[in-house]
Amino acid sequence: MIVGRFFMLLAVGMTLLLGAQLCDAQDMPLTQVLIEGEDWQSLSKGHKFTDGLTCDAEGNLYFSDVAGGTTINRLGHDGKVTVVVKDAPRISGMHFGPDGRIYACQGGSFGRIVAFDLKTGDRDVIAENVKPNDLVVTSDGHVFFTETSKMQVSHVPPGGKVKAADVAGKDGGPQRPNGIALTPDQGTLAVSDHGGRYTWVWRLDKDNRLSLRQPYITLRTPNADSPSKGDGMTTDSVGRYYVTSAVGLQMFDPTGRMGGVIASPSQKPIVSVAFAGPGHQYLYVAAGDEIYRRKTKASGVRAGQPESK
Amino acid sequence: MRRLKTGFVRGVTYLLFALCLSIDASAGYPLTADSKPQAGVPKGTVTQHRWEKSRVYPGTVRDYWVYVPAQYDQSKPACLMVFQDGRGYVNAKGHSRVPTVFDNLIHQKAMPVTIGVFVNPGTIPPARAGAKSRSNRSFEYDSLGDRYATFLIDEFLPEVTRDFNLVEDAQARGIVGISSGGICAFTAAWERPDYFGKVISYIGSFTNIRGGHVYPALIRKTEPKPIRVFLQDGENDLDNLHGHWPLANRQMAAALNFAKYDYRFEMGDGGHSGEHGGSLLPEMLRWLWRDYPAQNQGEDK
Repeated sequence: MIVGRFFMLLAVGMTLLLGAQLCDAQDMPLTQVLIEGEDWQSLSKGHKFTDGLTCDAEGNLYFSDVAGGTTINRLGHDGKVTVVVKDAPRISGMHFGPDGRIYACQGGSFGRIVAFDLKTGDRDVIAENVKPNDLVVTSDGHVFFTETSKMQVSHVPPGGKVKAADVAGKDGGPQRPNGIALTPDQGTLAVSDHGGRYTWVWRLDKDNRLSLRQPYITLRTPNADSPSKGDGMTTDSVGRYYVTSAVGLQMFDPTGRMGGVIASPSQKPIVSVAFAGPGHQYLYVAAGDEIYRRKTKASGVRAGQPESK
Repeated sequence: MRRLKTGFVRGVTYLLFALCLSIDASAGYPLTADSKPQAGVPKGTVTQHRWEKSRVYPGTVRDYWVYVPAQYDQSKPACLMVFQDGRGYVNAKGHSRVPTVFDNLIHQKAMPVTIGVFVNPGTIPPARAGAKSRSNRSFEYDSLGDRYATFLIDEFLPEVTRDFNLVEDAQARGIVGISSGGICAFTAAWERPDYFGKVISYIGSFTNIRGGHVYPALIRKTEPKPIRVFLQDGENDLDNLHGHWPLANRQMAAALNFAKYDYRFEMGDGGHSGEHGGSLLPEMLRWLWRDYPAQNQGEDK
């Protein structure tokens, strides 16, 4: 017994000694996320161009059909699709706020951010004359959204007016800001660049200003001179980043190192990603006319939402 | 009784733990006399500082240490070596114990009078309640390109070495690192051979963390740069999603050989640790500085 303990301790000691000094981040291969034998499954099809994936505290998935649909849809654990909001065309990005409402980007001729109350059916326009693509909401109700064509990340404080949080220049920042996500601690905001090869990060400061922009994450691109087509983003509970892209769903560890590329479910481009389902343990992607999901060893975060007890 | 037993088991546990730490530290690649304090050898001074005003990496904070040898004379220019993950190199009980090694080798005139700068990677402190600090190490160390070299050469080193009289010559400046810090050291010299002429890499991450696996190919098809390189790795180094460290270091050595660099490669049987590199450091320094005027404090060549 003592001998066994000795060897155990020896092993622990060696591991600590070897590991402690060098690795300030754990290596995170795809095998930490993917489960052998669990492939993508098609859950909903027959749409035109699915987008806007997000989930509620129970793990129900919400999505829109930005090209052909006029509704916000819920995909429950039973696989059934229910319409939860009617008469809401051109929705491209959604996220629950701490008030339980769905905040959504409504593009095209609408050009606004709308908050939908699913219980009462009320809808509030919280920003107008904008060109929103995708958004997140912090746990204290601040909305950050991308305005792709303006090379801009915009911010709407609770009850306040929309303003530019950061504008890219030719020399730096996302040229086509698209997907947007918060780390689980809400200390870092990340934005993918459909027109470039980086996903950029900012520190989210106490006053909800974005500062310290960095090209922290380098994406794989199909060719040396083609952009990543970085699109929808999400993060998981340990702080990994997931970015849909031209070559698949790219995963990065919390220090920005690539963990790997998860294959797309089909030949259609994936444009939105979210964790949802039981335990928030399923990755969902929007791939053209279809929604797919696969079970993982990771679990999503519910930023911007009160944790369900 | 039960309590006594628990206490005993805990005591034995701590003892064994301490034992296995000490066993590991001394197994395989022990430190030589050059890495231990020697009687009659003057000791340099080490001071600790913090850098919080980076323009290249805005918002980052990092600790750094400066070693000044006892033999340093302000009227004569000294050489400079910069260590990444500086805390591990400056640590008097760490893998390399650089201040002690410098004390000994400078005293022996095996290397010139050299200022040591030991710098940690940056972290971005949180700005909101509940948020964590974000490590900038991989971004700074694993990225190819001239960003980190620019940080060192244009902003950091001029200021932290402002008060020293230094030789203005790439061959009088070395850069050192371990793991990601190893590829970082090579990248800095590769990008700015006009500034850094000497490189030491322990268990260097010439793997695909952020594209660093391409160096062997680049080295073979680039006009050789005036960089002297000492690489160390071990047969049991990492084999993970980023790559295979022993193969990557062999590829580096083969490319440096093909391109006729002045290089050395030591492949041991260790793992991803600084132990072998630390034990070799005096030899690495002797080799790197072998033809540098050592009798004095770096007479300008």
